[in-house]
Amino acid sequence: MSGPLTRAEAEDLLYREALVLDRGEWDAWLELYTTDAIFWMPAWRDEVTPTSDPDSELSLIYYRGRRNLEDRVWRARSGMSVASSPLPRVVHAVTNVVLESADETGGRTASSFTVHLHDRRSERSHVFFGRYEHHLVHHDGAWRIAAKKILLLNDVIPTVVDFYSI
Amino acid sequence: MFQGRLAELIEDRPDDGVFRVSRAIFDDPDIFTLEMRRIFEAGWIFLGIASQAAAAHDFFTTTVGRVPVLVTRDGTGQLHGFVNSCPHKGSRVAQVMQGNARLHVCPYHSWTFDSAGQNKAIKWKKAGCYSEGFDQTSHNLAPLPAFGEYRGFVFGSLSADVPSLTDHLGEAAKLLDLVADQSDEGMELVPGGVTFTYDANWKLQLENCSDAYHFTSAHPSYIRVLEQRQKQADDSVVKSVFENSDYWTGESEGVAGGSYSFAHGHVLNWGRFGISEALPLYERADQLAQKHGRAKRDWMFNMRNLTIFPNLQIAENASSQLRVIRPLSAGKTEMRTWCIAPKGESAEARRQRIRQYEDFFNPSGMATPDDTVSYENCQRGFASGVEPWLQGYARGQTASKPGGNIFSKALGMEPERSVLSDAQLCDETLYHSYYREWARRMAGAVKA
Repeated sequence: MSGPLTRAEAEDLLYREALVLDRGEWDAWLELYTTDAIFWMPAWRDEVTPTSDPDSELSLIYYRGRRNLEDRVWRARSGMSVASSPLPRVVHAVTNVVLESADETGGRTASSFTVHLHDRRSERSHVFFGRYEHHLVHHDGAWRIAAKKILLLNDVIPTVVDFYSI
Repeated sequence: MFQGRLAELIEDRPDDGVFRVSRAIFDDPDIFTLEMRRIFEAGWIFLGIASQAAAAHDFFTTTVGRVPVLVTRDGTGQLHGFVNSCPHKGSRVAQVMQGNARLHVCPYHSWTFDSAGQNKAIKWKKAGCYSEGFDQTSHNLAPLPAFGEYRGFVFGSLSADVPSLTDHLGEAAKLLDLVADQSDEGMELVPGGVTFTYDANWKLQLENCSDAYHFTSAHPSYIRVLEQRQKQADDSVVKSVFENSDYWTGESEGVAGGSYSFAHGHVLNWGRFGISEALPLYERADQLAQKHGRAKRDWMFNMRNLTIFPNLQIAENASSQLRVIRPLSAGKTEMRTWCIAPKGESAEARRQRIRQYEDFFNPSGMATPDDTVSYENCQRGFASGVEPWLQGYARGQTASKPGGNIFSKALGMEPERSVLSDAQLCDETLYHSYYREWARRMAGAVKA
């Protein structure tokens, strides 16, 4: 791979992320992230304003460092979390991918997502939807995710939302 | 309507050592309707904190039972609570969560109210051919029949037939002081509220906050993650307040904490944490001891889960959370939650508090989902009338003592009952306070 990040390459990475989450291939999911990756889902200040400064405002999730995502994966697999066992079935749909900036080192994308979730245990289906912003970088011969922001629009959470359903 | 008797719902026979609660009180829709009328729409309900409407003309909205409520600060700085409903046709006047407005204009027919609730305009009044009788009626927003503030905690009631707010809070007010006194400037809500629902009864949240027994059973995955982080600490993971305490391992010896029960259904369970630098409050440890004395300072650092019956909980354990419980139906509850913090803390302490909060308290975190999914499992089980009595109110019965103990004395606080416990006692008698108040409020609506 050489040259600036293309939209096709960016889309390929975003769709791959969706697929490995849907399949529950979480080791492959973690591999898509750099070790110092930022994973951020803001909360909302009011009806229209998401929080913007994770150090002084609350987020739904804010991690700096892939290690934290590894903790989340470990927990979901541990068998020690009733909320994570049995897992709901999920399918991510990522659309409207726009490459907002790109060069040889990386680029930024904006996209829209819906995650359909069916929790067989509670006999409940739900759709989480919103927008993603990905910062992709070139690392070890592949494009990887250095930062992902998940702007969840329907933020009245029905019981549980976790990394695999956003 | 519910045709059964109170004695079929709560069996309270202290002389025989019996306290049992029926599954029906969580599951029966008629009982839910009575709870709305007798508890949520007829008594003191927590509305918010004063700093949510800090400046002149600031306002925020909330609900009391099923009723929309508007809290405003008028131009003179006085707080007011109103039913958020236009006297004209009943529409909500303010529709947003919070804001600043000198005038509130009803979006339906433009009746206009100032921030003190006074009607300032009825559109086309002169041309309206109103009768004299209309002119003699108040067109102001209806004030809440009871409204008050204690140390920045704002309460209201849809009934005037309530004790004073001071009497309602009673000795539990001293536990609100422990929150309010963490800063000379008072406390605030960190921007960004989180709302979630669960498909189970509101009293499951009431109980879970006070439930020391579930922690190592429901949250082992969270505990293991903390242990792992502690072993391999680096800058990418947040310090845990549990690091310097063996409270949660269930293996500590001696007095690990306990519970206090108060009149009107308020309860606290607590654990000894010690003055740990993992707590964001650590930067103020000396200052707080100088100002309030060492004993009260130490209490501020203890783990504390406080319920002010029926809808306010302040949990200071993994971080600091203010929760408002909003029952939607017998089987569905909405939780509105915020990180509550002392004003003026350092940016680093605030950041640490927020990170600790997100991991533990959020519905997107590593602990709360394991609670709420358990509530839903309970709710399923509550459908059974085969053996209606639940057995979860029995731990601590021989340890519960009338009055306080040396730890409450340190605060000058006199609870109705107290339990001192080691790590494994996990008192359940503090729930009795919830259900005795529940029974007191429901008496008359349900046959004795």
